[in-house]
Amino acid sequence: MKIKELVFDPILKNNPIALQILGVCSALAVTVQLKNVIVMCAAVTLVIALANMSVSIIRNHIPGSIRIIVQMTIIASLVIIAEQFLKAFLFDQWKTMAVYVGLIITNCIVMGRTEAFALKNTPIASFFDGIGNGLGYSFILIFVGFFRELFGSGKVFGYTVFELTKDGGWYQANGLALLPPSAFFLIGLIIWILRTKDPSQVEPQA
Amino acid sequence: MGNNVGKTVFVAFALCLVCSVLVSTTAVSLKDKQAQNAALDMKKNVLSAAGLLNKDTDVNEVFSKFSTVLVNLETGEIVEDMDSATYDQKEAQKKPDLSIAIPADADLAGLSRRAKFGKVFVYKDEQDQPQIYIFHITSKGLWSTMYGFMALGSDLNTVKGFGYYAQGETPGLGGEVDNPKWKGQWIGKSVYNEEEVVALKLSKAEAPKEGAVAEYRVDGLSGATITANGISSSIKYWFSNHGYGKFIDMVQAGEVTI
Amino acid sequence: MKLLRDFLDSKEHLFHKGGKLEKMYPLYEAIDTFAYTPADVTSGQTHVRDGIDLKRTMITVAMALFPVIIWTLYNTGFQANSVLASTGAEAEGWRASVMALLGLAHDPANIASNMMYGFLWFFPVFLVTQIAGGTVELIFSVVRKHEINEGFLVTGILYPLILPPTIPLWQVAVGIIFGVLVGKEIYGGTGKNIFNPALTARAFLFFAYPAQISGDAVWTAVDGFTGATALGQAAAGGLEAVTYSWSELFFGLVPGSMGETSTLACLLGAIYLISTRIGSWTIMLSVVVGMIVTSTGLNLIGSETNFMFNIPWYYHFVMGGFAFAFVFMATDPVSASMTTKGKWFYGFGIGAMGIVVRCINPAFPEGWMLAILFMNAMAPLIDYFVINSNIKRRMARNG
Repeated sequence: MKIKELVFDPILKNNPIALQILGVCSALAVTVQLKNVIVMCAAVTLVIALANMSVSIIRNHIPGSIRIIVQMTIIASLVIIAEQFLKAFLFDQWKTMAVYVGLIITNCIVMGRTEAFALKNTPIASFFDGIGNGLGYSFILIFVGFFRELFGSGKVFGYTVFELTKDGGWYQANGLALLPPSAFFLIGLIIWILRTKDPSQVEPQA
Repeated sequence: MGNNVGKTVFVAFALCLVCSVLVSTTAVSLKDKQAQNAALDMKKNVLSAAGLLNKDTDVNEVFSKFSTVLVNLETGEIVEDMDSATYDQKEAQKKPDLSIAIPADADLAGLSRRAKFGKVFVYKDEQDQPQIYIFHITSKGLWSTMYGFMALGSDLNTVKGFGYYAQGETPGLGGEVDNPKWKGQWIGKSVYNEEEVVALKLSKAEAPKEGAVAEYRVDGLSGATITANGISSSIKYWFSNHGYGKFIDMVQAGEVTI
Repeated sequence: MKLLRDFLDSKEHLFHKGGKLEKMYPLYEAIDTFAYTPADVTSGQTHVRDGIDLKRTMITVAMALFPVIIWTLYNTGFQANSVLASTGAEAEGWRASVMALLGLAHDPANIASNMMYGFLWFFPVFLVTQIAGGTVELIFSVVRKHEINEGFLVTGILYPLILPPTIPLWQVAVGIIFGVLVGKEIYGGTGKNIFNPALTARAFLFFAYPAQISGDAVWTAVDGFTGATALGQAAAGGLEAVTYSWSELFFGLVPGSMGETSTLACLLGAIYLISTRIGSWTIMLSVVVGMIVTSTGLNLIGSETNFMFNIPWYYHFVMGGFAFAFVFMATDPVSASMTTKGKWFYGFGIGAMGIVVRCINPAFPEGWMLAILFMNAMAPLIDYFVINSNIKRRMARNG
């Protein structure tokens, strides 16, 4: 597979959230503000790419019996390192996301890619596969985060777009957009749009 | 892929070694920076409660005018033999040796445990006179425990500012405790009435603008009865003799100087 | 009438394939069949058949809602007029001008004044619902190239009835757009939805703009007046705190969501629905049974801190939106269970869940909307188990 395909296919054609329905939990939890979304996406993308690469480098030496534990250890270490960096350099974002950074460990996309891709491919290809899936994840999160922040707080990246009624403006904040379930509606809408544009993503009827 | 035991153990061992070195190096090397961040964050919360935080405030400089004291809530006396700078009241509340169970009949706010020592921030003016006292308070909301500060003026009665720095209430209802307009109403209210009893609380609906009780009432939170009750009862609790009451009495009587 | 027929005929070619307004055919068809019998009806006597179809089902439900609507108009006006009369406040806004123009005083003893004032509050909500929801319906008919069907008729009547009179009109529009879109069209349109679209719309408003749909200030159509509903009073102080008598609650002379106040009007609707066999009596009965069993259970457990535990079932029956929910909302044939046995489970689940939310959850004063939506989601699963157990039983018997 070419690097270009590895990086760009997971964005629309084979999106980890919209098609494989993986990693939805964090898409619900951190998408109230775009600032957090960007930090989260960067962290997840780096973790997937590096985890993929590391697993791929030692793929020929991993004993089959402890395969999953080895992957888990690598992922967990990377996540802890990422969290330490956030705590040191992006404290405000870390504070609002708190546990969800640590929960990248359990993000199914990371484990899914190391298991499905990195164990069978070269380190370079695995790295770019990780970047691609991270971008696919980011694409959905940014979409969800954009609308949740816009409708829920009248802002985009913290800049006021709609003046809220409580600050004397005209826009009444939509409380639903501040609650995690609203991300379900938005992800559902993306899936609807993607599958209408590309019917090959629709599962065959049983 | 080899599957013999020796290799398995070796790979597991090597991997753990590499990972633990990486993780611990990062953690240790970033520790100072993280501690600074956490301290700065706390200072910001305090300043914001006192209404001293603007966009371009130099947090450290303004905060240097504060002194912190630890208060033994049982007696109202100041605790000398502990480092007040590193004491974290929110964390202390969860630690068995630093907190006590609140007797059920005194537990107005439904908190069940409280820290033994209260951390009070005192803002002093040029003449070294205390101007603002900031008290850490905890309230039980509908979904979450809310952590905040109440800032009182030099008379230890007039509210200078009020706000929560951590809460998880329903957005749009209980979450309105973060609304700047609502928080603004607290300023200028009084905690104690003439009989020296805590009278400050939230109204059921809109607070009366004038009349005998106007001084002690803040607008209720529409549609968030439980959150509002939690706030009212926690103020009653924290400023009674179970909370900071004894300390406040002693400062007013001049028995304690800061 | 001839004039209209000629007009429709003369314009018909515009809407056919290749015509200028081809895309708007669903709109043309809707107007035509609304006014006249469709051209393509069965002829001859080859089949014995009932005339029941989607249109007749929906119109029957609309008929069953008739007493509720009449009561809505009367009570909305009555509540507002009573408050105006007792507080001496002046009614404001365009509604007051219309009343003055008609020479009607805000007098709660005057039935015409109550009806008119109620109408002035209810009708704008109804109209906005029809326009906003109808537009979504039209867009999807055009895109999906099918005719506008009557599915929206009932949703469009139910939805305004479960809103408080003071709801801002833009919220009415946003809510019904969300309800029709997410509650129905996403799943493929009328007859394919999982959730009740009217309740989906209300749930959206409930979570998006809680201040305008819950609390004490929204139930009476007088600006700035706060008056708790019976449920609010019961939650705050138990049955003793309820200032309304049982019969007032039964007849519906209380503030609340516009169409939900009167248990009597809902029961009249229930009789009509059951006698025409449009509404399932199984579901209605099982919701009531579920409610009685659960609330009696809570009575037995008892609680000193939660007053709702001690409310007897016959008060639960008349308070809040229970009657409206079990007669008109739970029985929506599309989103309910399809199997007869499944209907018992489905209804019981609603009754039990609604009481649990109403009494135990402090955040939500009323539980039926959430209970019905929850059981809507469960209905296909219930049917699946019922059908599977049927298959197993038959296999065992005949296999």
